[in-house]
Amino acid sequence: MITAERKPLPEIKESISPYKKLLIVGCGTCVAECASGGEKEVALLASALRMDAKKEGRRVEIREITLDRQCVYEFIDQLTALIDQCDAILSLGCGAGVQAIAEIFPKIHIVPALNTTFIGQTREAGLWVENCRACGDCKLDRFADVCPITRCAKSLFNGPCGGSKGGYCEVDPETPCAWHLIVTRLEESNRLDKLGSVQPPANWSKKEGKGPRKIVREDQRN
Amino acid sequence: MEKEFNFAIFFCQRLDPEQDVNRRALEKELGSRIKFFTLPCSGRIESLHLMRALEAGADKVYLVTCPVGACRYKEGNTRAKKRVEFARKLIEEIGLEPERFELIHASSPFPNTIDDIARMLISREKGLTQSPLNARETKEAARNTP
Repeated sequence: MITAERKPLPEIKESISPYKKLLIVGCGTCVAECASGGEKEVALLASALRMDAKKEGRRVEIREITLDRQCVYEFIDQLTALIDQCDAILSLGCGAGVQAIAEIFPKIHIVPALNTTFIGQTREAGLWVENCRACGDCKLDRFADVCPITRCAKSLFNGPCGGSKGGYCEVDPETPCAWHLIVTRLEESNRLDKLGSVQPPANWSKKEGKGPRKIVREDQRN
Repeated sequence: MEKEFNFAIFFCQRLDPEQDVNRRALEKELGSRIKFFTLPCSGRIESLHLMRALEAGADKVYLVTCPVGACRYKEGNTRAKKRVEFARKLIEEIGLEPERFELIHASSPFPNTIDDIARMLISREKGLTQSPLNARETKEAARNTP
């Protein structure tokens, strides 16, 4: 899932300051899971902004809606009936959601309320960790399903740097050393022979250098 | 008893199984200035409940929980504390005093009825000031009164 964090409130306030009728739009998928942009977070932000406006003697009309997904047209279409009733949209979606809404409704200002951070997993309640950098050339099977690009601070492909202490990374001592995890897992599953071959450098052109990527599936198109 | 302030009290139902009867006297005395919200466990509280109570006009919002270590669901009152902290940070961001949300763990000796609990809490609030949200409303009403 994509994770995000809410922007500081002063930054959000400054962005929405010119507007009197605001529609706060949440997303019920990734950002709901990481407790930054779901229905609950929409309600919390709306309540805070209403109280802030009242405290300062400003009149602001705030409406709330949470779409199942903010990155899919069929869900964004639900906003059509509400667009004329607001001056701006405050989006609690990830960057993809903000831009998707803006494509459908280009004349209205869409303000992002979140900073999109990384692709990751829910390790436990309240803890989300990055584990994928979307390199476009997944080799997880060669590394015991531990991504060296993401989880090794130095993105090493052919063994540890030797700097780890007690199984923790020398760059960030709170992070487990990815290569310690890889070797341990391969050892425990009798697959150490996987480390016998040298991994060539990644083809970074699959990730960078060509602008925004896209996937086309003709069998899925109308 | 401070009559000019508004209070919202969220509390675990285990603190007073007869709460629906015991709170009537205070509700009659203070009218709309006091609102009680029973919870099956204090861990059921959401930060949004506290925010909405403040937004609706409370000057002070309490969450009263079972004693530490005595929650029947083990961690309910521990989780409640974290949610109150989250809500306090949120209102601090918009310039409101975080003390407007207060969590109270029942500790011995503690009153047995919600009426006594509420009276004890309210009588402590000597330094309480009106919420800036309500103060603005009061000023506007005074300005508009002929």
